[in-house]
Amino acid sequence: NPVFFRSTLPVLPLLLILPPVNSSSCAMENKTTEIRVKYENILSHDINELVNISAENRDRCWKNKNRENIKVFFCNDTQEIESLQSMACNMLRFFRKERISKAFRWKAAFVACGTLQVLQCKCEGHKKEK
Amino acid sequence: VLRMTQLSTVLSILAMFLHTTFGESGCTSADGDGTLGDDEPDNFDIDCFSQLEIKDSFSSLTCNFTELPPHNTNYTLSLCTKEDNNYMCYNMKKQEDAYFLQFTDLLSKTDICMFSEIKRRVCRSLVVTDIVKPEAPFAINITYQREANEYLICYHTPHSSKKYLKDKLIHQIAYRQKEGTWKTIESPYLQIKLLGKSLENDASYEVRVRSQPNGDYFKGTWSEWSTSQTFRTARQQHSTENYSSVVVIILSTLGFMLCIAIIALIIIFWENRIKPAVWPNLPDHKKTLEQLCKKPKNSFDISFNPESFGHVHIHKVDGIRAKAELENFLQPSTAPEISLPEKSRNGSDLKMIPAKTDNSNLSLSVTYGGVWPAEALHRLLGTGQFAGTEGNCSSSMYEVCHGTRVPLHSGGSSLCSAPPFHPPGQLSPEPRNDDIVSQMLPDSEMRSPNNEEAYVTMSSFYKIQ
Repeated sequence: NPVFFRSTLPVLPLLLILPPVNSSSCAMENKTTEIRVKYENILSHDINELVNISAENRDRCWKNKNRENIKVFFCNDTQEIESLQSMACNMLRFFRKERISKAFRWKAAFVACGTLQVLQCKCEGHKKEK
Repeated sequence: VLRMTQLSTVLSILAMFLHTTFGESGCTSADGDGTLGDDEPDNFDIDCFSQLEIKDSFSSLTCNFTELPPHNTNYTLSLCTKEDNNYMCYNMKKQEDAYFLQFTDLLSKTDICMFSEIKRRVCRSLVVTDIVKPEAPFAINITYQREANEYLICYHTPHSSKKYLKDKLIHQIAYRQKEGTWKTIESPYLQIKLLGKSLENDASYEVRVRSQPNGDYFKGTWSEWSTSQTFRTARQQHSTENYSSVVVIILSTLGFMLCIAIIALIIIFWENRIKPAVWPNLPDHKKTLEQLCKKPKNSFDISFNPESFGHVHIHKVDGIRAKAELENFLQPSTAPEISLPEKSRNGSDLKMIPAKTDNSNLSLSVTYGGVWPAEALHRLLGTGQFAGTEGNCSSSMYEVCHGTRVPLHSGGSSLCSAPPFHPPGQLSPEPRNDDIVSQMLPDSEMRSPNNEEAYVTMSSFYKIQ
């Protein structure tokens, strides 16, 4: 029915215009040079500190061998930024885990926030702790 | 249907308007560009600098008003960041004339905002990594390297043990003589060398250092100057050392050249002079004898020709005293060797030791000042005839070298020499006794009447043999 088609035609633009407002899209998709510079000069040092802290607490690894937790830190090929966003957001979830040392939690949160800031991404469903 | 179409069109336009208005930014500012601030311009002059990792992992922000606002106005400076469609502002603490704030986030885009009662809010963009002011260096150490005549200046910076500014600073070293003008050198390293020749001797110098981000990512201003350090340059003796080193070089060069010259001289004169003196050749007997038997000079008068002795004064000797002694010597016993006395004797002191029967070595020395008569000679030798005799002369020998008085030894060679003659220049005046008659006869009369009787030639010796 051409009348029905003409009446529903404007709906299509609505579908394009009204996607979810709170989607976690990163704004640094095509700015790899800027991302690399910020990582090399600032973020890499914090990551090294986080690695050193985790090395010191190696004997205190989780005994919870839930394999789902391991998947949160995987990097997908050709989706580096999305992977980093996912890792940062997942790392923020551990901030409230009291079984992890406070220094490690704070440092992990700092790295996660720094990563999201470099990528200019946001996480869904939770707030970043300052 | 028409109404539905119109309704859907209106809804789509409204949705587009709302999406454009709200969107993901959620910004409610009137600017519409996502930044803070009202429409009022940022007309406040403020000077800020940041210090990274000033305390653990916290960085600091310090701001000063370049133009002080009215005193009766309350205002507040804040550092604001955009977060989840919301602006989060952190008020800076006022410390005397400056505003201070500690923070950790170096990656977020921040703004500096002033809140006043008159104006609502005035903000200005601020990038904390572009206004970095490093901490001042410390612990300047100056070491003098005598061999190189250089002054090594070492210093430290707190950022060497920190994360962000490690190896990302450039240092400026300033030095001056006492109350002089400053001279600066920039280096990315934590040490630098000053040449001693560029400094005055025995003078006092002052050194200080400051740092600045190198500009690769972090930018900013110079840090505060470090604490000054003074040092004194070496005295004049260093120049003396230079002088002595020059003298040593000159002497070494001269010594080397002298050695070269000595070696060359040795090579040149080795064969002709050095080797014969250091390693003389053993004398060759043949050559030695040849040298001894030198050829007589042309003027040397050697001749057994009686005619050549025409000018010689011939002294006839009669009644020679030596006859008595001669008889004694005619004994068959072996005659001992008698050496002539040094003092010359006349013919009367003649001593002859003929060994008629003994063919052994016979030493016979005769000294006289005249001419041997043939008869005396014959008696001496024990032969009837002097000339032509054989065998008698073989066993006898007598000296005919009047001048030298040297006894001659013979190993069996027959030698009946002619009467002795005085070599030129060697004639010694001899005392003559009465038995000796010395006659000075004219040359013509002095010639021997019979050559064969007065002289014995070498040929007669061969005949005797």
